[in-house]
Amino acid sequence: MNKTIPERILDRVNVPLMAWVGALLIYGTVMVASATEGMSSGLLTRHLVGVGVGLVPLVIAWLIDYTRLRGWQGPLIAFGAFLLISPRVPGLGTTAKGATSWLQIADVRLFQPSEPAKLVFIVVLAAVIASMKGRVDTPGRAMKVFAYLAGAVLLIMMQPDLGTGMVFVALTFIMLIVGGLKGRYFAVLAVASVILIGAVLGLDPVLDKMAGSDVGLKDYQKNRLLVFIDPDLDPHDAGYNLAQSKIAIGSGGLAGKGLGSGTQSNLHFIPERHTDFIFSVLGEELGFLGAVSLLGLYLALLLTALAIANSSRDLYGALIATGVLGMWMFQILENVGMTVGMMPITGIPLPFMSFGSSAMVTNLGAVGLLLSVWSRRYGAGT
Amino acid sequence: MPTISQEYRSRFGVLGIVVIVVLSALLVRLWTMQVLNGESYAAQAENNRVREISLEAPRGRILDRNGIPLVTNRSALAVSVDPSHEDVRALLVRTWSADTVDDPTSRELDEMFGEISGLLGVSTADIWERVTDVQQEALRPRVIAVDVPMEAIAQIMERQTDFPWALVEEIAVREYPNGNLAAHLLGYSGAISEEQYEQSDEYAGYELGDTVGKAGVERQYEGVLQGDKGWRRIEVNASGRSQGVVSEQAPRPGNDIRLTIDAGIQAATEEQLDLAIAESHRQGYSSARAGAAVVLDIKTGEVLASTSRPTYDPSAFLGGISTAEWEALNAKESEYPLNDRAVMAAYPPASTFKVITTISGLQAGITSENKTYNCTGRWTDMGKQWPKWCWKRTGHGTVTLRGGLKHSCDTVFYEIGYELYKRKLEELQATSRQFGLGSKTGIDLPGESAGRVPDAAWKKQYNENYPEYQQWLPGDTVNMAIGQGDMLTTPLQMALVYAGLANDGTIMKPHVLKDVLGSEGEVIRTIENEVLYETGVSAEMLGVVERGLVDVTESGTARAAFAGFGQTVAGKTGTAQVKGKDDYAWFTAYAPIDDPRYAIAIVVEEGGGGGAIGGPAARNILAYIFGEEQKTIHTTDESR
Repeated sequence: MNKTIPERILDRVNVPLMAWVGALLIYGTVMVASATEGMSSGLLTRHLVGVGVGLVPLVIAWLIDYTRLRGWQGPLIAFGAFLLISPRVPGLGTTAKGATSWLQIADVRLFQPSEPAKLVFIVVLAAVIASMKGRVDTPGRAMKVFAYLAGAVLLIMMQPDLGTGMVFVALTFIMLIVGGLKGRYFAVLAVASVILIGAVLGLDPVLDKMAGSDVGLKDYQKNRLLVFIDPDLDPHDAGYNLAQSKIAIGSGGLAGKGLGSGTQSNLHFIPERHTDFIFSVLGEELGFLGAVSLLGLYLALLLTALAIANSSRDLYGALIATGVLGMWMFQILENVGMTVGMMPITGIPLPFMSFGSSAMVTNLGAVGLLLSVWSRRYGAGT
Repeated sequence: MPTISQEYRSRFGVLGIVVIVVLSALLVRLWTMQVLNGESYAAQAENNRVREISLEAPRGRILDRNGIPLVTNRSALAVSVDPSHEDVRALLVRTWSADTVDDPTSRELDEMFGEISGLLGVSTADIWERVTDVQQEALRPRVIAVDVPMEAIAQIMERQTDFPWALVEEIAVREYPNGNLAAHLLGYSGAISEEQYEQSDEYAGYELGDTVGKAGVERQYEGVLQGDKGWRRIEVNASGRSQGVVSEQAPRPGNDIRLTIDAGIQAATEEQLDLAIAESHRQGYSSARAGAAVVLDIKTGEVLASTSRPTYDPSAFLGGISTAEWEALNAKESEYPLNDRAVMAAYPPASTFKVITTISGLQAGITSENKTYNCTGRWTDMGKQWPKWCWKRTGHGTVTLRGGLKHSCDTVFYEIGYELYKRKLEELQATSRQFGLGSKTGIDLPGESAGRVPDAAWKKQYNENYPEYQQWLPGDTVNMAIGQGDMLTTPLQMALVYAGLANDGTIMKPHVLKDVLGSEGEVIRTIENEVLYETGVSAEMLGVVERGLVDVTESGTARAAFAGFGQTVAGKTGTAQVKGKDDYAWFTAYAPIDDPRYAIAIVVEEGGGGGAIGGPAARNILAYIFGEEQKTIHTTDESR
């Protein structure tokens, strides 16, 4: 290799990836700052700390030769399963909003283990699919992939966390595109997934008891009251959140109301405005132009991830990059989609934008995985 | 290059397409929402953010003709429940859900409102009834108690954590400085009813929960008294909490109005009506509870006093009347105290009607002042099988028309009535209508009754389903001639008849509003006096009637009541027979004779004799007007 040292470092860094992620982090910080204005102080600092902490797994994943991960399949599976089960372990987990999805030791909430579990799942599944050498063309092979997915989904549903379950399903589909799943198995898997999700929803105890007919009080009177009723009481709970989110985004118009000037956001009409619904704040304050800018950055990020997958010297690395791509893409679709009424409302954060350290650290770890694949595109150890 | 790109190019191509499709789908959706429909969403956001609260204007005051306040405003401390507070809302949502199963139990209500109920002395059931009142704007705090004592207010304010949903507000309420005085005429105000609210024409711009006039002058002059509402636009957050005022427009108070009522005459009239009812009881008429009295200025038609019994307390309506109280006021055994009998009730006028019969007979040329009649007590001109009795069963002997008025001799008027019947011209009805009977007077008060002047056409129609009763019979006119049978008049109508007699045959339109005042107290609108009827009765005929009526108070059926009275009064007693009830006592009069100014009508339901009950009351009302001494008079009267 007759390359200079700087060239060799540059070779290991994917500049576009760093640029897009950097831009997203700045954009996200600005939006979190705007959304948390007037809320308890320190949230912005915590956001930035999350970014800083996230650099640790980024660098570690980058330094690790991803091809070595293949040899740790057993420990990785055990670790992933532990992450998903850990919130249920007495003394470790805690329950919030009906789901036991946080790790807590003493009174300190640590993180949501299902976030890093996504990366573990990607790495494990990449090895499984890669072992089929680009041909998932027998029922046995398909069943094997499906068994891994089902196992992960089953564990995540014990919390229960529908959103993360959907992410697992989605990224499996995306990875199987590259992994070479036979066309008709896609259909079978799709049907199986629908049945699985349906079963989970059927058991969902929070399923709304639907309100009856218009008796007693007249509709217009009831609605006046319901308009200001807070989401926790509203029998049409989700409907209210969705409506407020749509009003926020729609009212942003072409150019938005200006940073920090969103009335829907500042007057608390948008629920979870700095976490799951941060896109609503963005849409309201920065308008269509702000939203297009964000989607443009995401497009660049996803195409860069695709390019990295394409550059991988082996199928395993390509599948890891594809899994990360699938994870991000589905989270973008689901999160933005729910704020505009295209997708059901679930608690999935928007990558690099939402406040929340677990997701931030995980996403930066995912960037590390991409860099690991990229920097070893010419061969191990270089 | 040992990459896998060659082998997998098409798969990555598919993946790239998926990425682009997903992001494009979001882009299209955002374009539709933000660029195409942005304005509609922006309007919704504004609607979310800004809430308009209307500021009710203080109602105009109601004054008597001399400027003495009859109804004013004062501020009162009220305790309200905020329906938007989450605890209250939680219960409301359950109440309004289709399921009755999850309605709040009385135990839950007691838990929530039990303590404040004790502080305020209002039952939890009443509190909850008011909180769930749907006839109010959803966000409007529901007043649960008005005029709360300071100790209770202090407790509620200190213990906000115990009563986080309780609001202490200063609200403007009606004040009645004279208590129940003129309660019927003034009426009362209360929250607009759903029916009123839906009458978009008269109540355009009103909101549920607004205070409006419900009866009497309060209702009649609602448009003048109401004023213009102001508004305050506040910015609210998602929980409905105010974040500050965006803009504000102060309300314009309603106009004050001055009535034609004289507070002094009104008070005297009410006192005399009460004393008359008490006198009825003293004379053994234990059912006497109700009645009415009206005093008019005959030159202008101004109502100087108007009262009705039984009465009610208008302050019971402050802050909303409880269902129990409302039901009590409308129960049959209550004798309907909310009804203003002076204009709403129609009674047989009995002998007070004989002036009409007199004029009708004179106009027909079938009688004259000194024409003599022979009263044997029993009158059988219509045939032996149809005897009629004079109230004086032993008979008046030979009596003139004038004497007939003086002694209220029924036989005289049976004969006139029978003559009029035989002429078949319905002249008695025509004369009645000449004096406005059978029609509303058009007084500026709601709910006026027209009374009834019965005639052949009416009887036929009235007995539509009873062919055997459809024929107008001689007895019908004969009964009518003494103010009985199917004849019905309101006290106001009879007062107007006597006003017409006093005012050379001209009846002025009665009214209770004198003028409307502007914000500086200046007169901005005056009610013009109007002629209602020119009866066209000749001075000569009026003279015949007047001489007979003066005889009544000087030596006739009301002589005991008016003995020693300093003014010459033309009056007439009346004692109406009502099937299944004790006699109704009437007295109608005008005075003074030389230059008539006042007309009066008083009736006491089941009160007994007109001369014994009505006469003394009328005498003392006139005594007040003329500055004479009041006198307690116990007398009896058998005339009818």
